[in-house]
Amino acid sequence: METTLTSTETRVETLRKCEFLQGLKDSILRDLAARAEILHVNCGEKIVTRGEDGSTMYFIISGGARVHHGEVVLASIGSGDVFGEMAVLDSEKRSASVTTDSDTLLLSIERDMFYESLSTDPDSFKAVIHGVLQRGRGIIREVKTRSTKLMAYEKEMEIGRRIQAGFLPDSLPVIENWELASSFVAAREVAGDFYDVFKLNNLPHLAIVIGDVCDKGVGAALFMTLFRSLIRASSLYSNMCSGLVDSQTASASITADEVLKNSLLTTNRYIATTHAGSSMFASVFFGLLDTESGDLHYINAGHEPPIIFRQNGETELLDITGGVIGLFPPAQYAVEAASLKKGDLIFAYTDGVNEAKNLNGEQFGESRIMKTKDLQDSSADNFLSDILEAVHEFRGEAEQSDDITMLALKYLAQTSTA
Amino acid sequence: MATLNFMVGQEQGNVSVTVLRVEGDIDAATHKSLQDKAAEVIEAGSTHILLDLGGVNYMGSAGFRAIHAISNMLNDGDTPGTMKSTHLKLLNPTDAVARVIKTLGFDVYLDVYQDRAEAINSF
Repeated sequence: METTLTSTETRVETLRKCEFLQGLKDSILRDLAARAEILHVNCGEKIVTRGEDGSTMYFIISGGARVHHGEVVLASIGSGDVFGEMAVLDSEKRSASVTTDSDTLLLSIERDMFYESLSTDPDSFKAVIHGVLQRGRGIIREVKTRSTKLMAYEKEMEIGRRIQAGFLPDSLPVIENWELASSFVAAREVAGDFYDVFKLNNLPHLAIVIGDVCDKGVGAALFMTLFRSLIRASSLYSNMCSGLVDSQTASASITADEVLKNSLLTTNRYIATTHAGSSMFASVFFGLLDTESGDLHYINAGHEPPIIFRQNGETELLDITGGVIGLFPPAQYAVEAASLKKGDLIFAYTDGVNEAKNLNGEQFGESRIMKTKDLQDSSADNFLSDILEAVHEFRGEAEQSDDITMLALKYLAQTSTA
Repeated sequence: MATLNFMVGQEQGNVSVTVLRVEGDIDAATHKSLQDKAAEVIEAGSTHILLDLGGVNYMGSAGFRAIHAISNMLNDGDTPGTMKSTHLKLLNPTDAVARVIKTLGFDVYLDVYQDRAEAINSF
């Protein structure tokens, strides 16, 4: 900072522009102007630091600065604006930092000097108090306007959230000899998890889909609706139009493989070409379960491996068979198979489960999921409740930072009598 | 604010390869600077980039989106007959980043090398 000479008239005019000094007599303004110091501050210099004591207020003659908390800019100020006055008037710590955005010319006045000037005229105190109150009322009005806008925005977000939730199934199909359960706990911030369970037309297969669109926010939510709809439509479409529906000779496994591949290849190619510029992708597990035999055919496109908990206590991971979908048009996906026996349970989830963090920053992890199992007694519903409870307990006071989405399908050991 | 540091080198293999070394965490706050840096070297004439991730301890989904955007900038469309990018490859990811690459199956789309010379000669 450099001290510079500037005419008294410029000084007086600068002070006169300040809202809370506008009621002062000309003689007081001239006295303040004469006592004030002129500073030339280079671009990028921090003049006021948040949290520090301060006894000086500054009036901008020319140039500009930003009022900020760290990287968050609260306001941009320029010629005629004042800063640092709050700490001068109430003797509290500086409430924000101020850094110049260009070479700036300032008028600075010390607290003692300010009160000394005012002390020559009792009415000037009234004028300053009036000015400060006017300024306070202005701030309250601004806060009210902003909070009204914020409430409207939050209402819109809530509507968006409800529309997004409408893309998840209302209820799960009822399948003889199987128990199906799902759980979706949305994070405060909108995210892009999705799941779907539906029967294919005229095929003995149940489609099981769980996915997670990258990133968070409205963009992820919009793409979630796109991924989910394309997968459902393309799997039903391929089933209806491939000709395999009417083919009595086609084996179920070939049909399932073709439905899986056709659906994910179509979805991937559509998003990777139509929305190439957005670079949005999703990890997806898509399985087709023959509920008669327990045979499961699946593609795991970059998703957390679902786990089969066997009745005998063994576990099996359904590892990835391809990369995430939505990015590279030529992507290919392999189909793998697994077999569920009576008493087995398959658990699919999104990273809101294994990456749930506690206050120490530790993650829940796959190993804790493995430890949570209690197959002999658990229904599919109870299984998910147990995992959710374990995640909540582990997380403690830490905020839920991502959607938690889980699916469990249990092949009942006892044939149901329904 | 967290920032990324870059080091750019040029190596001659079968083709001229730009080695772009990144240091820092690639997340929502920093991925744009990686994309911008890549755009800058591509603008300057680079056609093949080896992205050295040896100095990256964390890469979130924003980082993978940036890598996809760089791949798009380099390829200008599909390379017929191949699923993997022939213009963008990855070098020496740290364990944490390698784990995410594996989970998302990104190694299906991009070659990942541990050895710099081998990586350069693979283009």
